[in-house]
Amino acid sequence: MSDSTNDRPRLQVSSICKSFPGVRALRNVDLQVGPAEVLSVVGENGAGKSTLMKILAGVQAQDSGSINVDGKPQSFRNVRDAMASGIALIHQELNLADNLSIGANIFLGREPLRRGMIDEAAVHKKSAEALEKVGLDVSPKTLVRELTIGQQQLVEIAKAVSFDAQVLIMDEPTSSLSAGESEKLFDVIRNLKSRGVSILYISHRLAEVQDLSDRVTVLRDGENAGELLTGEINHDSLVQLMVGRDISRFYSRKPHDKGSLALQVHDLVTSTWPAEKLNFHICAGEIVGIAGLVGAGRTEMLRTLFGVDRPLAGRISVGEKTISLQSPQDAIEAGVALVPEDRKHEGLVLEMSIRQNIGLAGHRRNAGLGGFLNFQQETTDSSEYSRKLKVKAPHDQHLVSTLSGGNQQKVVLAKWLSMNPKVLLLDEPTRGIDVGAKQEIYQLMDELAGAGMAVLFVSSELEEVIGMSDRAIVMHEGRITGELSREKLTEEAIMQLATTHHHSINKADVSTLSGKANS
Amino acid sequence: MKGKVLGIFGLLVALCVFVTLMTADPWYHIGSSTFLQTNNIENLLSRTAMYGILGIGVAFVIITSGIDLSIGSLVCLSGILLALFLHVEYQPQFVTQVSQVDSIKSTFEVSGDLQRLKEGDRIRYTGGRRADSGLFTVKFVSDKTIAVTEIIPRDDTQGQIALAIPISKIERSKAADSDDDENQFSLVIAEKLDLNAGDKVTLVHPVSGLKTETITKASQTADSTELILANDPGDRVTSEWLALPQKRHQRMSAPVAILAVLFICGLLGLIHGLLVTRAGLQPFVVTLSGLLIYRGLSRWLTDDNPAGLGEYSDSLCQIGSGNLNLLTTAGGNTFGIPYPFFFLIATGIIAAVFLNRTIWGRYLLALGRNEQAARFSGINTGKVTMMAFVICSTLAGLGGMLFALDYKSISPSSFGNFFELYAIAAAVLGGCSLRGGEGSIVGVIIGTAVMQVLNNLILLLKIPGSLEFAIIGSVILVGVLVDEVFRRMTAERRRKQRLQA
Repeated sequence: MSDSTNDRPRLQVSSICKSFPGVRALRNVDLQVGPAEVLSVVGENGAGKSTLMKILAGVQAQDSGSINVDGKPQSFRNVRDAMASGIALIHQELNLADNLSIGANIFLGREPLRRGMIDEAAVHKKSAEALEKVGLDVSPKTLVRELTIGQQQLVEIAKAVSFDAQVLIMDEPTSSLSAGESEKLFDVIRNLKSRGVSILYISHRLAEVQDLSDRVTVLRDGENAGELLTGEINHDSLVQLMVGRDISRFYSRKPHDKGSLALQVHDLVTSTWPAEKLNFHICAGEIVGIAGLVGAGRTEMLRTLFGVDRPLAGRISVGEKTISLQSPQDAIEAGVALVPEDRKHEGLVLEMSIRQNIGLAGHRRNAGLGGFLNFQQETTDSSEYSRKLKVKAPHDQHLVSTLSGGNQQKVVLAKWLSMNPKVLLLDEPTRGIDVGAKQEIYQLMDELAGAGMAVLFVSSELEEVIGMSDRAIVMHEGRITGELSREKLTEEAIMQLATTHHHSINKADVSTLSGKANS
Repeated sequence: MKGKVLGIFGLLVALCVFVTLMTADPWYHIGSSTFLQTNNIENLLSRTAMYGILGIGVAFVIITSGIDLSIGSLVCLSGILLALFLHVEYQPQFVTQVSQVDSIKSTFEVSGDLQRLKEGDRIRYTGGRRADSGLFTVKFVSDKTIAVTEIIPRDDTQGQIALAIPISKIERSKAADSDDDENQFSLVIAEKLDLNAGDKVTLVHPVSGLKTETITKASQTADSTELILANDPGDRVTSEWLALPQKRHQRMSAPVAILAVLFICGLLGLIHGLLVTRAGLQPFVVTLSGLLIYRGLSRWLTDDNPAGLGEYSDSLCQIGSGNLNLLTTAGGNTFGIPYPFFFLIATGIIAAVFLNRTIWGRYLLALGRNEQAARFSGINTGKVTMMAFVICSTLAGLGGMLFALDYKSISPSSFGNFFELYAIAAAVLGGCSLRGGEGSIVGVIIGTAVMQVLNNLILLLKIPGSLEFAIIGSVILVGVLVDEVFRRMTAERRRKQRLQA
């Protein structure tokens, strides 16, 4: 912090605390950024980065702690307050009205008026100026929905530029950009920096962080874990600060005996990739990881195996039996369960209790004559599995919405374990979960495999795939490009297969995934 | 949920107390309250019951986060269909169609079978375009021709002939089981006739005229029939008159008609459900179209004329308008529970058990909150949603029939207007969230009662009826507003508690 060439930081944050029901998101976090500085904030999922940024942008209020802008204490009641202080947040999910033009979006909520009407000429002129500053060569009259994701991001930045934001917060801006678009974004960031704008940059991609940052602040479990200056920033030092523990003991794997064939997929064609045929199998007692870049068709494959999406062709056998999958009911009856990627929308009914969520899948099986609910079975299942999975809640009548991510995920798992599945499909099982719960879930996966369940999981965290899999399947653009046994599992080998159409692997892409592995 | 139901129950009690005091004179003499008069209470119970059934139905759809706007029109359609299915016609017996009336030859040429006619029989000709109706005596019968002794004044090419049967005896006597002064009128025909209570008989005389009466009792022996009529047709009628028996013909029996209406309504609900789940249309649009379509169909089916159930006012209509008498006061006042109220209780119990105790109810609540999560838990969300629409429309049919049986005359352009809004408002007042996943059957019933008491209040306090909608609207608005404020307050309190913990 002492290296700042300016007398005082543009933005100084001290002792910020923030709690959510069941989680302490931030504890006494300090952070400062000077003019014309790029500060990266890194940390694992759930380390508190996004919460901190939302507080800085006025989206949420801190429980305690102070925010100073240019030496003056500020309290933001809403986004408008933060904007007035010159702080703008570029969201992880873009917040543009895609039915409106670029100009309308840039001036949304602060439209220049002329005789009570929107002054379109002024909107056009000022938007064009802002767009030029971010190097986007498109007419402000273009509808946002006609732009690529990368261009939309630039519109967001142009919006911030247009009201002269002095601190720009970017929350994972490259997560949905192509390599070329990312490069362009970096140029814009450097350009803004040269004009004195401070940038708070959040990313999982450690290579980007290394390239862009003047300084890095690392968060771990809602606290400051350390700081690195330009010269010290490298992959290993970052990872060590972020994880703060020995990784090899983190992934608990014991050797299991492989049992009989549990799931066989023959020439399966999913509706998203109609040209590709998928073939693989998994045995009882095996843990198989599915790796690949975002959009490689992994989630779609799991959805098809669970009957959510209809397969276009192919044969799926569970155990000895070939099954016809028309709906999730068919999959469940065959002994297949899916823990979906989007826990809050697909995994849980948030406004229902823990007990009701755990019972939801089993009602049909447990129902008495005439479809009457079997409350007793629901209670037994709920208490048995919430105890087994150590769901932390005062009692199982608690609403699921009040639980932390890790406990919510345990409730989803409990729901399926109560059904005794033969094949357990997990889609990004540890996304958005704190470290402790992560480890518990890894342990559980190991125990389930030990008890003879076939566990198939999709993960974007390479380290998780390497740490947990007996075998990994790698996908690229809807195709299975290879299988790697445990001995051959390395980040390089996976990346080779995950980007197989490239002859040489893009360095940024490798770092992307290895960055995710630690986050 | 429990809090919400208690809240609305409190509102109901407060309203009742308020109206009671306002309508009593002096206010502390509660017995004088017009609100508490037995017929007023009976009326309230009856209306609450009928609207409540509609409200319970729409609650199921609202729980799926849908809406049903077609209820009012479906109420009308079910009433119209019930009236049409139960339509009654009286067909003369021993009748045959006439193809030619010849005034010169004094003959009728007929198309039907003439085996029963013989010389000397009396027949009645009706329905001619030019020839007058009248009684004739058969001279002889050939294959398709009847010659009569009287002169037929004009030629014709249409009409019908019915056999007029001589009456052998008429009798006026005091009925054994009747305590009024009126005589019981019975007539005996020397022939075994297929007649039952409910059929009619037309009595004719060549000169004196024509009189039709309903048969209350028919008893047959091998060669005679004795008919007891509902009313004495008058002193003029003697045994010289002739009888034309008319068979009562009802399109369907009442149970069949009721089941048919319920089935049709359920089917329409299924169509709504299919359009919503399979075709992916919005419930609002689908049922708005239903609202227009069923109204139009109802008007077309009846040529825009009122359809009546008057035939049944003493029988079937009792289900809609009758009471189970509980007590009679010294002053001769009676108090009873209206029959529709029993339908409400039965519907309410079944609905509550269904919603809270069966897997489908649980599925409804789950998919109303989060359809994706329900689907990912192996619930066939499409089927469950369709089921909700079927329940809603079937209950609209049930409610509609009760309304029709109460009103007895159904005007296709106005019957059931706005009923869907009453039902939706009651459901919302009773704690259903239009966002879905939330609802209580008891709450809906109490919500309906609140609406009816309000309605009653406007009437009893002599507030201009034109203000009715405005008042009901304001109460709903205030109700949901208060509820929302409470909800936020509890959420805030919970959040603070959690932070402290």
